[in-house]
Amino acid sequence: MSELETHPSPAPDEYTARTHDEEAATHAEEALEGRPFEMRAATKGLFGELLSDKTGLFASVFLIAVVLVAIFAPLVAPYGPTEGNLSSSNISPFWKSDGTWSHVLGTDQQGYDMLSRLIYGLRTSLLIGFAVVAVAGTFGVLMGLLSGYKGGRTDRILMGWVDVQVAFPGLLLALIMIAILGGSVRTVILVLSFNGWMVYARMTRGVVLSLKERPFVEAAEVIGCKPRRVVLTHILPNLVSSLSTLAVLEFARILLAEATLSFLGLGIQYPEVSLGLVANNGRDYLFSAPRFIIIPGIVLSLLVLNVNFVASWLRVLFDPQEREKRFAANATSSTTPGATT
Amino acid sequence: MGRYLAGRLLQGLAVIFGVTVVVFVITRLVGDPVDFILPLSASTEQRARLRTDLGFDRSIASQFWSFLGDAVHLDFGNSTFYRNQGTLSVVWAFLPKTLELVAAGMLLAFIVSIALGTLAALKPGKITDKILVVLSLGGLATPQFFLCQVLLLYTSVEFNLVQFGPGPWTHLIMPSIALALPAIGRLSMVVRSAMIDELNTQYVKAARAKGIARWRIVFIHALRNAAIPFVTLFGWELIRALAGVTVVVENVFNWPGLGNLAITAIKERDFFLIQTIVLVVAVMVVVINIAIDFIYRFVDPRVKLS
Amino acid sequence: MRQGVRVLGPLLALGLVVTACGSSGDEPSTAASSTSAATSDSGSEPTAAAGAEITIALGSEPTSLDPHIVDDGGERAINDNIYETLLFRTPDGVLEPGLATDLPTQVDPTTWEFKLREGVTFHDGSPFNADSVVATVERMVRLVADGKTDNDGFFGSLTGAEKVDDTTVRIMTAAEDGVLPARMYWLKQIPASAKDSEDLSDAPVGTGPYKFGSRNVGVDVTLEANADYWGGAPSIAKVTYEFSDDSATRLAGLKSGKYDLITNLGPQDVQAAPKFAAVAGQEHPILILDADEGITSDVNVRKALNLAVDKEAIAKNIFGGYAVVDAGQLLSPSIVGYNDQLSAYPYDPAQAKQLIEDAGVAGQTIQLVGESGRWLKDKELLEAVAGYWTEAGLDVKLEILEFGAYLDVLFDRENRADAIYVSSSNDILDADRQLSTYYQAGGIGSSNSNQDLSALIDTGRTELDSAARAKTYAEAVKIAYDEAYFVWTVNNEDLYGLSERMQWTPRVDAKLLVKEMTVTG
Repeated sequence: MSELETHPSPAPDEYTARTHDEEAATHAEEALEGRPFEMRAATKGLFGELLSDKTGLFASVFLIAVVLVAIFAPLVAPYGPTEGNLSSSNISPFWKSDGTWSHVLGTDQQGYDMLSRLIYGLRTSLLIGFAVVAVAGTFGVLMGLLSGYKGGRTDRILMGWVDVQVAFPGLLLALIMIAILGGSVRTVILVLSFNGWMVYARMTRGVVLSLKERPFVEAAEVIGCKPRRVVLTHILPNLVSSLSTLAVLEFARILLAEATLSFLGLGIQYPEVSLGLVANNGRDYLFSAPRFIIIPGIVLSLLVLNVNFVASWLRVLFDPQEREKRFAANATSSTTPGATT
Repeated sequence: MGRYLAGRLLQGLAVIFGVTVVVFVITRLVGDPVDFILPLSASTEQRARLRTDLGFDRSIASQFWSFLGDAVHLDFGNSTFYRNQGTLSVVWAFLPKTLELVAAGMLLAFIVSIALGTLAALKPGKITDKILVVLSLGGLATPQFFLCQVLLLYTSVEFNLVQFGPGPWTHLIMPSIALALPAIGRLSMVVRSAMIDELNTQYVKAARAKGIARWRIVFIHALRNAAIPFVTLFGWELIRALAGVTVVVENVFNWPGLGNLAITAIKERDFFLIQTIVLVVAVMVVVINIAIDFIYRFVDPRVKLS
Repeated sequence: MRQGVRVLGPLLALGLVVTACGSSGDEPSTAASSTSAATSDSGSEPTAAAGAEITIALGSEPTSLDPHIVDDGGERAINDNIYETLLFRTPDGVLEPGLATDLPTQVDPTTWEFKLREGVTFHDGSPFNADSVVATVERMVRLVADGKTDNDGFFGSLTGAEKVDDTTVRIMTAAEDGVLPARMYWLKQIPASAKDSEDLSDAPVGTGPYKFGSRNVGVDVTLEANADYWGGAPSIAKVTYEFSDDSATRLAGLKSGKYDLITNLGPQDVQAAPKFAAVAGQEHPILILDADEGITSDVNVRKALNLAVDKEAIAKNIFGGYAVVDAGQLLSPSIVGYNDQLSAYPYDPAQAKQLIEDAGVAGQTIQLVGESGRWLKDKELLEAVAGYWTEAGLDVKLEILEFGAYLDVLFDRENRADAIYVSSSNDILDADRQLSTYYQAGGIGSSNSNQDLSALIDTGRTELDSAARAKTYAEAVKIAYDEAYFVWTVNNEDLYGLSERMQWTPRVDAKLLVKEMTVTG
């Protein structure tokens, strides 16, 4: 966890001096940037302790399989996501006495095949996850680099912006924006990116600030490397490990956020389908056909769980210190709380 | 200290202003609530007249200017959904219910997570430890809406354990459990690891060597030090609850709080109401942020307010 | 029809069915005479418990309790118990005297005279008499003129009222208005002192069997029995209304014993409810086709769109059998103007496909716009229709929009969408309401410019003779049917969930009159 924990001290400018103290108190993002002692404790989980690498490996295999299924959904899924009509509605899943093997998980009230909807829903949910991580990550890292590298006024303005946006009520804003812009994959990506880039900016800035003080970066600057080269060759590579862990955790968070929006009816809309929308469609049938909600709920939970496993596995993988600690008595790896927006 | 507080307040104001501008602009990007207010059969002229009355025919800048002017006098406009009622008084009517729910949920989370975390730290690998793992894994991975629905289906109804919605305090039980469970998973982990760290420090070892009772060490020394990361995360959970999670919990359990109101306001395009809800939530978030900062400095004397 | 999951509409004299839990559940509505219905699972007559308190869960919260300002299902459900009107309807929808002692008589084509019931007082003690009726009418006329009411569609034709003596009052209309008696079934009577009030929401005062108790915005509204009610004190002493737009949540409350009555029980949940009651409603979900432009301007395409949809399957699978196929006219059989010569377009996918191909539009895009959550099973119906049209060979672009965006499309007069979903309800039980809204060129939900049709609807409105009106409307309805201006689907029933102890027979006009309810011990 070296990058995460080496916070610049003494602080190179007044802004950092201020934020260094105050941010820690409130935001989860701190987990990846803030004061070493508290934040490590705050986010340290049991997972590292309890997971052997086998769990991480298994989770990775699971996720790769899921991603493959999602990519090849049209080949894997027995039916289209909105194929079927009322004449085939409410068929029971195979484990019920009146179930059939042609619809393994049965059909819903529209006559759509549940398994196929889950597969296509998975595809959309994963797509949104990847896209948001890419968009928010790219923007956030750029802002963080700019802020950390330029320092001074740029830094103050950018970090001020981050502070303001971090204190926004995220889910509420997302709901409002989607209600106004209309629910679709594109708007959900846009809205979740808008609400999720700050964490990357903060972390990147923190890492940049700490690296700036390091001899090799100073040396590069002294020998006249152009700033861009310094950033590209010396700073970015050092970001990779912490960024990748963060990205995976954010990915899990986005999956949940999308599902929540869609469940509330303010996310993905027909004919698109996502895991959250499948659950939303089942809402009215909570008592008559609970499987409409329980099946997508379990799939989503499994997915998020495994993404989190992979995140803690990655962290250990990237971090020699962490690996050492694994053998120490109280070694843990960490996970940030998987939150909705 | 004074300068620090002033800075924090200034930042808080920036947050509130920022939120206001963002919400104001996005709610006016597309359409207006006139169609919602009037019935389907209303004529075009009627719609135009109401549009003018409510000021939706003016430019965003001019609307914002008059909004600010009124806001100074704590007049945030009338709700268009709750006819002829000031939005602030509507929010005021719903706010206590949300506070009640959040207070109950977070109190539950507070007590259970400290108890669970402490027990787990004292006996790593034992049953409490395992419960903790299940809880935290579950809390991490389960979507809140799914948890709520399962609770609704299997406890409230199948076994008729508790009821929900407005009513006597017992109706608080299910929604506050739904609110607290994921937080308990995360918080108790923090208590646990902080406690383990603390129990292994030199001064605790010294204290034990001096023969101080184990419970004294746990409760007076270790717990107090574990409070620092705990407060951090607890504050974050609190904000998370107020500004997001309650929307889902209230929606599923039909709890008449701000979250449900927000959904109604959004679906009905009640711009003024949305504006006020977000404003009130933002103010609460800012206040909690500042409060936690101070608590933080109180429990951790090493941190000075610069 | 604006608020709520959907606002229930009335329907004359169609059969209604009340089924106890455990019976087969999917039996279609019987066309029995409506007022008697089996309500309980036991054979013995249950004894009513006096002084009971009940809780009712509504799908939407009233946005105001002013009976004149809003047009909103939540408001009506509550105020129907506080306020009364000059005319009532029987449970099966026939107009009968209410606060008036008889149906009105006409003085001249635009003046109607009502005789008023004596000895009726408002909850505040003030008398109900000609003065209060004049105040009521004048307040409504003022609200309409000022554009401050949603109810101008109901009362726009009123011009004023005058007192003849204490128990006789005359109400005037701008033009001949055959709908006036139905309007007086809709206009809630307020005390004379409330005439100039801008908003009566805080303290509703009526003549009804229940008095306003309290209102906690967002939480509940309570009413208390009016012991001095002119029709005799009601059996239930106190009513609490709560609100939930989620049908599973309402059902959960019913199952757990918190609620005694829930509205809009989902058809899928009839078995799960302790008891339920169904009544043929006035709700007709339809698809408005743009007859003037685009792919749907060809009448054969419009007919194909009708033939392509399996209405029986919609009634059976989406509405769980609690719906009947709409006979191609949006009007229910008992409404004046219903054309019994028409029957629904059959389900004939082969012919539909053929017609689409012959019209040369196979594979072309058709836009279908709807919303989700406002009306019962709206999304399900839209997706099903999209599926059927796809099978007929079209590229269906279904847009399920947020309600606001949806309304923008519905109200857009310049660019009519190819097909727009709407669920039409007829609150005052008069054909004019639906025809002028959806059938008449320029109506808010109309997508045709047929001037002959428009003229017929105008004629019908000013026609005072009932038989002549019926003939005119039947003719209008036939034109629209032949032109296939809509895809008619079903007429779905109103479903209510009841607790074990609740005894109640729902009304075709969907009013939740607590005075008609009893609970057993």
